[in-house]
Amino acid sequence: MRHRAPPGWAARHWPALIAWAGVAIYLFPIYWMIVSGFKTQAEIFADPPTLIPHDPTLEAFHYVLVRENILRYLRNSVMIALPVTVITVCLAAIGAYAMSRLRTRLVDAALIAVLLLQVFPEALLATPVFIIFKSIGLVNTIPAVVLATSTRSLAFALVILRPMFRQVPIELEEASRVDGCTTLQTFLQIVVPLMRVPLMVVAAITFAQAYGQFVYPLTLLSSHELQPGTVGIYGFIGAEVSDWHRVMAFASLFVLPILALFLLLQNKIVSGITAGALK
Amino acid sequence: MSERSPLLYVFLLVPVGYLVSLIGFPILYNLVMSLQEVNLGNIDTLWRPFLGLQNYRDALADPTFRKVFVNTLVFVSANVIGQVGIGCLVAVAFTRDFAGAHFLRGLLLAAWLLPALVVGTVWKWLFATQSGVINYFLASLGLIASPVHWLSDPSMAMTALNIAHIWFGMPFSMILIAAALTSIPDELYEAAALDGAGVLARFRFVTLPAISPALLAVACLVTISSLRAFDVIFAMTHGGPLDSTNVLPLFSYQASFQDFDFGHGAAIGMFAFVIVFAVALLYVRLAYREQEL
Repeated sequence: MRHRAPPGWAARHWPALIAWAGVAIYLFPIYWMIVSGFKTQAEIFADPPTLIPHDPTLEAFHYVLVRENILRYLRNSVMIALPVTVITVCLAAIGAYAMSRLRTRLVDAALIAVLLLQVFPEALLATPVFIIFKSIGLVNTIPAVVLATSTRSLAFALVILRPMFRQVPIELEEASRVDGCTTLQTFLQIVVPLMRVPLMVVAAITFAQAYGQFVYPLTLLSSHELQPGTVGIYGFIGAEVSDWHRVMAFASLFVLPILALFLLLQNKIVSGITAGALK
Repeated sequence: MSERSPLLYVFLLVPVGYLVSLIGFPILYNLVMSLQEVNLGNIDTLWRPFLGLQNYRDALADPTFRKVFVNTLVFVSANVIGQVGIGCLVAVAFTRDFAGAHFLRGLLLAAWLLPALVVGTVWKWLFATQSGVINYFLASLGLIASPVHWLSDPSMAMTALNIAHIWFGMPFSMILIAAALTSIPDELYEAAALDGAGVLARFRFVTLPAISPALLAVACLVTISSLRAFDVIFAMTHGGPLDSTNVLPLFSYQASFQDFDFGHGAAIGMFAFVIVFAVALLYVRLAYREQEL
């Protein structure tokens, strides 16, 4: 429905104002996480709580950087998330390309198999995966966590990418084949460069999900040196329940890369999800 | 012209094979384990004492299992109703065009992209009895006289958990519903408006019927993602107090990794596997039908 008449400023802008206020309230937990990290121990327990820190301090951030070794946790999270992202993007790219080009019932069967396999909860798979990895001596290694985690986003990636690959005009590929390129060369030199943006969106979402993976590292890694940020935060809430300013400082630093990635790619992530969801 | 290069079949089968070996095989292995006695001493061998259905019988005889089963149903239902209901309202609200509507709607997705463990941790702090900001807001609005023990009172913990998990998942449901809304032709609304239909009537007789297949598909996705919930619960309540927020995946995990009775954990897991699988079949049927239109 379009606007009927152009009335005053307030009447024209009230939907926008309500929406801004609503979104601000909705995202308040994220704001609260960040500001809590800037508070002192005394202010975190102040009654009433201060919505803006009176006396902002970096003490809690300093504490988690120096005493809690947060950089080691962050490095481990990245060391898990990066290979997971590479594996997922490669497998999803070839899978989605095949699905968009082959015309056989096999494509439907493959898609259904993938959709059905990805629904199983990690907390349940943790039991057999732990026992299998334990019996082949893979437990307590980063590759174990990478292998287990890389199953998490693959189906989602395939579903998002398949309709995108369909949009690549087949004429381009035929032209490339006339020039004597093999299927592999055509895929790598023609199709993949055209799919840069969707592949980047899939990479961003996969990275965020792998970076936040908790169940598999919790189960498969026993040494502190290997544990990622999620396990670090979890150990931190268990150990020092009252140090909420430090827990929140840790959580804020930990999610910083994810929030940055999100703000950079927000539009593309939203349109990627909707395109994949509809078809 | 369709391309029949054998390489394309390899491309198709590699990702499927990857998932089959890292998910399909563990599920089969889990089925075998659920019929065995598996403990820390016999992990390395597949020849373990065979128990038949004893692990399943033990699970069903355990009153906690029944409680956890009911909790799972309550948690999933609350999330389906909350996420689809609120997601639908928010998606419809954002169909009004105003400056920044797309940007604002997308911004909500920030909640969904956060690590689930962080979401649970932040909500644990928001729901803290002393100095928790939720109790402060409720008290200053005059809604509560004394601080609510959100996470330590067994009658409140599930409510707190549901609020946190609906907050976490709603934006994703909302984006999917918003996508379905854009496919409704404007002419339908114009015709309804000519017939004198008000806002509510238009929603009831135009919007709802048009997006109900999409809503059903989103409901399936929310069911699947709620049955997967672990991190948020683990961070907020650990399934407590008194198992009031314990759900099947967490209960299975506890049997395996706190009691080290892996066979028992595997048996509990099979119940959840069957439920998830049934919902997934329904979802695939829905998605498949949509696609053929």
